[in-house]
Amino acid sequence: MNALFKHSIAILCGAFLLCASAATFAANGQLKLPNFDSLTDKASESVTITLDAALLGMATRFLDASDPEDAAAIEAIKGIKGIYVRKYTFDDDFAYPKSDVDMVRKQLSAPGWQQLVQVKSRKEQQNVEIYILVEQERANGLAIIASQPREFTIVNIVGSIDMRKLHELEGQFGIPKLELEQKKQ
Amino acid sequence: MKASEAWSPDELLTRASAGESAAFAALVRRYQRTVYSIALRMLSDRQRAEDLAQEVFLQLYRSMDSIDSDSHLAFWLRKVAVNRAIDRIRQEARHDSEPLTEAAAVVGEVGDADPLLQRRMAELVSQLTPAARAVVVLRYQEDLDPVDIASTLDMPINTVKSHLKRSLTILRARVLGAAIVDDVQPSMSERSP
Amino acid sequence: MSKDFEQQLRDALRPVDPEEGFEQRVMARVAREPAGLRSKIKRWTATLAIAASLAFVAILGAYQWQERREQQGLEARRQLLEALRVTGEKLDVAYQAVNRESPPPTDDGSGA
Repeated sequence: MNALFKHSIAILCGAFLLCASAATFAANGQLKLPNFDSLTDKASESVTITLDAALLGMATRFLDASDPEDAAAIEAIKGIKGIYVRKYTFDDDFAYPKSDVDMVRKQLSAPGWQQLVQVKSRKEQQNVEIYILVEQERANGLAIIASQPREFTIVNIVGSIDMRKLHELEGQFGIPKLELEQKKQ
Repeated sequence: MKASEAWSPDELLTRASAGESAAFAALVRRYQRTVYSIALRMLSDRQRAEDLAQEVFLQLYRSMDSIDSDSHLAFWLRKVAVNRAIDRIRQEARHDSEPLTEAAAVVGEVGDADPLLQRRMAELVSQLTPAARAVVVLRYQEDLDPVDIASTLDMPINTVKSHLKRSLTILRARVLGAAIVDDVQPSMSERSP
Repeated sequence: MSKDFEQQLRDALRPVDPEEGFEQRVMARVAREPAGLRSKIKRWTATLAIAASLAFVAILGAYQWQERREQQGLEARRQLLEALRVTGEKLDVAYQAVNRESPPPTDDGSGA
């Protein structure tokens, strides 16, 4: 085999391994998030949260079950092994690299991940995508990618997801209850 | 004119810490409006607001030694008043206490503003969730900026801003009569008779 | 418009005086506090401070460790609540959109 052919094989193998490792990473529910450190200085506001199982356990010990908000949190995180949030707000449009957001989105094409819903609002220039990782008929991962011209948010939740409990966060943490649902009742 | 009215704020504080009741009474007179109004906007009931305001001043009396300055005193009073009110609301929610028999939409004296609109707005504020209500009261009654509100409520500043933004949207829409999602608890008119 | 609305909100939330006699009622409660309590507490606190300073070095390490753990725990709690808030906020956008697209079914009695 000539050198060019060997070189090409090496490149292809490398690319396959990269894709496989990204898929493996994504397949257990946890996404590989880019290093956004350089954005922290540019952003007017930033939220960086990394809570693995150990930190979640620690947080749970400081939640007060008699407090309605804390009680809702306790219920919502049952079965969850990790929560990762990156949210950046800027003073200028598109000050964040779209390629980084796209890199996260690519991981969600790995087997098991399904797009649950995509909402595009032309008026607010807002795009929200929600993905879940389904394994053996259970949701074992959740990913949210939300982008606007001056803000983007990535949420990744690992573990057994109870969408109903997350939905029941409405009314807590300053999140409004859906008037439509109240009207249906 | 009472002698205490001639004392500077720092002198009032020093004398009150030393146990002079006239000085402490002057502090009560100076801050009663602030403390009572916070309690009233949070609890929506005059009697409960007065009880809570009295407890705040009693706690102040016991804690005078820990107050460093006049500005610390103002911060301390707001913090204790609003946090006690939030605790009271949550305790009552857990014990399923009797609902309020009236929403105390009390409006302060204002020039030529529309009293009905003001009453409506005060009612709507009283229907926000405790945390959102506290943020709105501290911002628009006490004129605190979001950083000070975050410090008073021990709340992340992003959460403060989020509460402000949502509450204004909801209040504005409700006042204008638009139907949007609500961050409200059921008002008295919506409860079953 | 926004500034007008905010000013209206300020007007609606103008501070209000308590019922007349509030100061007297507070001072009456203050008068019922145990006599000399505050000066007794001051003396007691001074004695305790001296004793505590002697034992301070021995317990400092354990206290700081406990304090750090508690701070970490409270910080973890704060981050958890913030993460859930952000998550709920974005789910809310999607739920609102889905409900707008799928209005509740009408009950026309047809059984369809």
